[in-house]
Amino acid sequence: MFKYFSSTNIYLLIQKLIRFINSIFFLILIIGLTFALVLSPPDYLQGDAVRIMYVHVPSAWIGLACFSVITLLSVFNFIFKIKNFYFINKSLSPIGLLFTCLAIITGSLWGQPTWGTWWAWDARLTSMLSLMFFYVFYILTFKLLNKKDQIIKVSSIIAIIGSINLPIIKYSVDWWTTLHQPASIKITGSSSIHSEMMLPLMVMALVFLLYAALIFLMKYKTEIIRIKKKNIKRD
Amino acid sequence: MILSFISMNGHGFYVWLSFGVVFISCVVVFLKTKKTLKKYEQEFLVELQALTLEEKNKALENSKVAQQILATSLKIN
Repeated sequence: MFKYFSSTNIYLLIQKLIRFINSIFFLILIIGLTFALVLSPPDYLQGDAVRIMYVHVPSAWIGLACFSVITLLSVFNFIFKIKNFYFINKSLSPIGLLFTCLAIITGSLWGQPTWGTWWAWDARLTSMLSLMFFYVFYILTFKLLNKKDQIIKVSSIIAIIGSINLPIIKYSVDWWTTLHQPASIKITGSSSIHSEMMLPLMVMALVFLLYAALIFLMKYKTEIIRIKKKNIKRD
Repeated sequence: MILSFISMNGHGFYVWLSFGVVFISCVVVFLKTKKTLKKYEQEFLVELQALTLEEKNKALENSKVAQQILATSLKIN
């Protein structure tokens, strides 16, 4: 079974996945943008500013999801020393940082017309900013440290400490009185968002997910080539 | 109609700027990632070309990744 996880098989799978994503990405992007910018209705209170939600919410979801995966794999890597997890985390972290930054920027652009301010030291906003710093520290370990064991140790510690921030981000709107609204979409229980807005949001989330997957696969492919290049004579 | 679509009842600046920032950032990251990938593929090919014929054949025989990179570069060229 383990032969399916060899770098060669992973490389061939990556090639197929990249081709698949490339073939469907632009179609879904056009559908998503049409829904988000044209077909979805304006909000009764926020007006057209609500359209920022279609880029802000998926960015935040992916930023959080990437860090959750990084934490999980860091723990496994710390215990079992699986080298693929190291490369997965190295490839995932810049994507997580990108989407966390985008969530903060688009949130700020949404905050100005709805709250009347670009920024507030609100629990949700501050915890998202902390997540961004955890990503920066995490990525810096790969840039500044040389020994792989040292990188795994330090980056895992950062990921585990940073993971404490994840439930804080999720529940900050319930635990404290914040400017940021409580969650409108719930996995368990009924969501308070109308289906006419839910559909574009889900399509845009799929677009963001496909983009993140594409970048991840390209980065992971680069890592495999780097290893193969080192071992070219041994192959 | 086009003007009202662009102005979005006064929220156009925030909406278009948000979508614009996301779009530009994503394009920049995509191009940068693609450039790095191509760079490493090229470096891999250079290393492969530097091998002796025997070593090169052995490397290509044993590594499907090497075969794939070589095939991709031949397709492009």
